[in-house]
Amino acid sequence: MKQQSKLTSEQQHDAVQHTSEPQGKTFGSPEELLRFDAAQTPVPGQLTERLNRSVASEPRSDASKTSWLRRLFGGS
Amino acid sequence: MDTLVNEPTAERMDATGTPLNGAPAEFAAIYQEHSQAIYYLTLRFLGDPQKAEDAAHDVFLKAFRHFDQFRGQSAVRTWLYRIAINHCRNLQQTWQSRHIFSNADDAVWEGAVAKTESPLRVLETKELGQRIQKTLDALPEEYRLLLLLVADEELSYEEIGALTEQTADAIRGKLHRARKAFAAHFQKDP
Repeated sequence: MKQQSKLTSEQQHDAVQHTSEPQGKTFGSPEELLRFDAAQTPVPGQLTERLNRSVASEPRSDASKTSWLRRLFGGS
Repeated sequence: MDTLVNEPTAERMDATGTPLNGAPAEFAAIYQEHSQAIYYLTLRFLGDPQKAEDAAHDVFLKAFRHFDQFRGQSAVRTWLYRIAINHCRNLQQTWQSRHIFSNADDAVWEGAVAKTESPLRVLETKELGQRIQKTLDALPEEYRLLLLLVADEELSYEEIGALTEQTADAIRGKLHRARKAFAAHFQKDP
């Protein structure tokens, strides 16, 4: 297996790099790793369906409607 | 304007293409834009997909109920994160299912070997999520939360500071220690 050469301190601050191994990835920081992980973590469809049902069950007051309009159009 | 007055159901989609059609258009748009970020935070903070789904649902429902009270003092995402963080912490206090690290344990992470300064190398991405979760679970909660928030490029250090009740400078200092702690544990258990 081809070995990756030791990185200089400069290279350590670079963004995501790819190693020579086809499945290998190198991340410059934990945050970059978490962003990669987040990009592969979709919202479960079940969550949206549940929220749909819950929101549909919520009471809609006139005060709520008025505040929506007030916020959108800046009126009092 | 008529559609806004009547608050029609919205054919907005979430990232999976599932319509959020039970909500006013404005809230549906907020869900579409922020659901992935909020769900990811609850997932990696709580460490359990079902608990994360429940928490994310409760966060958005709470946001829906209180959206008329949101006065724009912060960005919407920051506001949602605040709800999510408080909700997750309340859940954890209820479950008491996490190990609690005292500040004294920071010395363990401070003494992490120098080689943890090197980049994080991953050969297998198939079970990367599990490995990341295991690493985050091993960290003190403040490090876990800090790394998750910093990973969101839409948040500034100032906003993260407001969410975690510390200054941006304190964030930067703590982030350095959190990165070392993460790397030390991540590389220890490939």
